[in-house]
Amino acid sequence: MNTDDLISRLSQDVPPVRRNAVGWRIAIGILLGALVSGGYVLLSMGIRPDLGEAMHGFAFWMKWGYTLSLSVAALVVTAQLARPDTRRLRWLWVIAIPVALLAGVGALELIRTPSGEWLAMWLGHSWRTCPWRVLTLAMPIFVGLLWSFRRLAPTRLRAAGAAAGLAAGAFAATVYCLHCPEVSAIFVLTWYSLGILLAASVGALLGPRLLRW
Amino acid sequence: MQANEDALRGLMIDGLDGDAAAHAALLRLLVPLLRGFYRRRASGSDDDIEDLVQETLIAVHTRRVTYDRDRAFTAWLFAIARYKMVDHFRRGRRLCPIDGLEDMLIAEDFESASTARLDMEGLLADLPAKQARMIRATRLDGLSVAEAAQAGGIGESDVKVSVHRGLKALVARIQGERR
Repeated sequence: MNTDDLISRLSQDVPPVRRNAVGWRIAIGILLGALVSGGYVLLSMGIRPDLGEAMHGFAFWMKWGYTLSLSVAALVVTAQLARPDTRRLRWLWVIAIPVALLAGVGALELIRTPSGEWLAMWLGHSWRTCPWRVLTLAMPIFVGLLWSFRRLAPTRLRAAGAAAGLAAGAFAATVYCLHCPEVSAIFVLTWYSLGILLAASVGALLGPRLLRW
Repeated sequence: MQANEDALRGLMIDGLDGDAAAHAALLRLLVPLLRGFYRRRASGSDDDIEDLVQETLIAVHTRRVTYDRDRAFTAWLFAIARYKMVDHFRRGRRLCPIDGLEDMLIAEDFESASTARLDMEGLLADLPAKQARMIRATRLDGLSVAEAAQAGGIGESDVKVSVHRGLKALVARIQGERR
């Protein structure tokens, strides 16, 4: 096609763009994905029966605090990688804060618990399934983010994929909290984080292929 | 209209606010810019360059939400252009990067620099030892006059005079050879 024709065709479709359009687009993608993941938890895993009661306790909010703050930190990095002209990533270190805080809570927990019970506390009832479930729930959210990225312009595809995977994993873990009855900080620190890291690795692996434009 | 940063940025922002005419004007101004950008960096037929230009225009259009109004427009544009070019090379399409040529230029530069060095050594060999040593120290090795004086164990003015006389002799000899 002639370049002039291309330009006149492109200029027929010029919708206004909001100032924080990148953030909105990422938020919409992640929420659409989270709806699918939430539906899956609701229908197939089941919401924990004592959810209302648990919401009055410390453990539930500790878990949500960890996964939600990790999601936000990962989204901040993802939004930066969605622009082509980002040279230096800022706020990357923020990701370490929730991890460090949860590790602190875990250390307190270990001090208070007799060492004979440490293993049971660490493995909980669901350590075998927890990371895989987080990874499964991360998939729809990752797909949602792929939709967001269709109008975005990442130039470091592997890093962008990893950040999107991290965000998807952390958000999936947030959704998974509706089902998971585990209460210990070191359980969450290990097995939730493992699931989230798996999601980030899958993202890094697929990023160069799927985010190309 | 001239394609400078302020003009382009203004058009882009108007386009983001929904002004289709500004958007069209912007895209039209980008065409020669992008052609120049790609011609300097890739070798191939004009059609292939034009393909790349069109691809970039489409990307600028479809991914315009990623432009941050507070940042430089040209930086954003060339980040997209660079990405499109790297992607193009990675897919192994018809255009060739001029990177290889750049390596060749560096090699040629090295070669001429080394032959120049050899010529220089030949010329210096004919000068009195002190003059040759001082020229080598100040002009080839990059020492300051003070450093050269200290290294040679002589006064600074002695260094300056040696270099001056030595260079004069060299110039005379080279001009004599030419004649």
